[in-house]
Amino acid sequence: MNRRHLIATGGLAGAVSLAALPTASAQSQGATTLDKILKEKVVRISCDVSSPPFGVIGSDGKPDGVEVETCKQLARDMGVELDLVQVVSTQRLPSLLAGRSDITLSSISITFDRAKAVSFCNPTGALAIVVFGPKATQIAAPADMAGKRIGITRATLEEATVPKIAPPGTKIVWFDDISATIQSVLAGQVDAIAMTEFAMRSVIDRNPRAGLEQKLLVTRAFYAPVVRHGDVELRQWINTWGFLNRQNGVLGAIYEKYTGIKLPELPVI
Amino acid sequence: MHYVFQFNVVWDNWRILTDGAVATVEMSVAAFALGLAVAMLCAWLRGFRSFAVRGVVRCYVEIVRNTPLLVQLFIIYFSLPGLGVRMEAEDAAVLGLGLNFGGYATEILRSGVEAVPYSQIEAATALGLSRLRIFRHVILNPAIRICYPAMASQFILILLSSSIVSAISADELTSEVNTLQSTTFRPFEFYFAATAIYLALALAFRFGLDGLFWLAFERGRPRLGQGRSRRRPA
Repeated sequence: MNRRHLIATGGLAGAVSLAALPTASAQSQGATTLDKILKEKVVRISCDVSSPPFGVIGSDGKPDGVEVETCKQLARDMGVELDLVQVVSTQRLPSLLAGRSDITLSSISITFDRAKAVSFCNPTGALAIVVFGPKATQIAAPADMAGKRIGITRATLEEATVPKIAPPGTKIVWFDDISATIQSVLAGQVDAIAMTEFAMRSVIDRNPRAGLEQKLLVTRAFYAPVVRHGDVELRQWINTWGFLNRQNGVLGAIYEKYTGIKLPELPVI
Repeated sequence: MHYVFQFNVVWDNWRILTDGAVATVEMSVAAFALGLAVAMLCAWLRGFRSFAVRGVVRCYVEIVRNTPLLVQLFIIYFSLPGLGVRMEAEDAAVLGLGLNFGGYATEILRSGVEAVPYSQIEAATALGLSRLRIFRHVILNPAIRICYPAMASQFILILLSSSIVSAISADELTSEVNTLQSTTFRPFEFYFAATAIYLALALAFRFGLDGLFWLAFERGRPRLGQGRSRRRPA
C-alpha cells in the first residue's frame, strides 16, 4: 500500500468514525453499564492487591486472594472477560466513581458514609478489625492507646473505626497503602497498627521474629461489592449472582480457601 | 455518567487544606536549603586532588540521580531504623527530598562554574584584580546567573514531588487531601482543590523567583539587540 493510499484510507476511516459519533453517543445514553459490559464482553473491576488475604500478588507475580478469586468467579458467571483494575486502598472508590471500572469488589465494609457515595450490593464476606503490635507495646484496652503511635491505612474500615475508640493523645500515623503500614510496625516507626484480623495473621506468620501479637478487637463488619449510584441493573445482577453462589457454596469455598475460616451467615441489604 | 459536584465540603475544610499547603511549602524550603548546602559541599569537594574524595561525590550524584525518589524515601524511613537511625516522617521527608535535590544541584552548580571561560579569569588577573574580586565578580556572579533558572525550576519540582512523601506518612498537602477524600468520599472535589492549590503555589513561586532574578541580574542592563550593543564597533 503506497503512502497516498494510506492517507486516503486514514481520512476515510476518520470521516466514518466522525459520522458514527453522534449515533454512538446517543446509544450510550440509553445503555446501562450492564448493557455495556455484556456488549463489550469485558467487566472492569477495581481491586486492591496489597491487602492480604483479600488481594495479594502471589508468588507467581499474579494477583490472588479472596476478592481476586471472587472477581474471577463473577466474570466467569457473567460470561465475560475480567479486566482487573489494580488499585491501592485509597483509590478503590475513586477509581469506580471516575469510571475507570464498573464495579469495585475489594472487601469494602458497609458504612453509612460510603453508602452516600456508592451503592452497596449484598455482602459477600465478613471481617474483623484488630490492633496489633510487638509484645513490648502495652495495649490491653482502647484507653491504653493514649500517647502511642498507631499506624492506620487510609480509606479502610480501620480508618473509620479506630480513631473513634482511640482516646485523646493517641498519635495516629496515616499511610496510603497497607504494605507501608505493615513496614512501619516492622521498622518500629509506630507502636502498633490496625488492620483486618486476616492481614494480621499473615503478617505474624511471615514475620515470626518480630514478635507481634493481637492487642484489641476493634469491630466486626460485613463487606460487599459496590457499584455507582444509578447502576440498578448491574447491582441486581450482582445480587442475583451472590445469591446463587451462596447457595451453591462457591463463595464459602473461596473464603475458606484463603482465610481458613468458615464463611459466616451473610445477611442481605 | 452522573456526578454531582459538592464543593461546599472543600470550603468546610479550608483550614486543613491551608495547613497542608503551609506544610508543603515549609518542607520544600527546608529540602531546598539542605540540598543547596549539600551541593555547595560537593562542589567544593570536587575541587580536591584526591581521587577518593571526588569518587565519593561522583557516587552520591549518580546514585541519587539514577534511583527513584520514592525508593530513597522508603530506605530512609523504613530501612534506616534497622541500623538504629530513627526519625519522624517529616524529617525523613525533608532529608530524602533534600538529598535528592542535592544530587541535581551539584550538577547544576558544576555547569555554572564550568561555563565561565578560563580566559576571563586570565584577563581579570592581567588587569590586576585581587583573587577575592576575581571569585566574586568574574566567577560567582556569572555562575549564579547561569544556575539560577535551573535552581528555580528545581525548587518548583521539589514543591510538586513533595506530594509523594505521604507514602511514608509525612503530613503535607497531598496527605491531608487523601485523608479528606477518603473520609468524605468526595475525591474529585478534593483532588481538584489540591490541583488548584499546587498550581497556585507553583505559579506564585515561579513569578516570585523570576522577579528576584530580574531584580538581581537584569535590572538596568541593556537588552540584547538594543542600545549600546546594537552599535557597530568603530
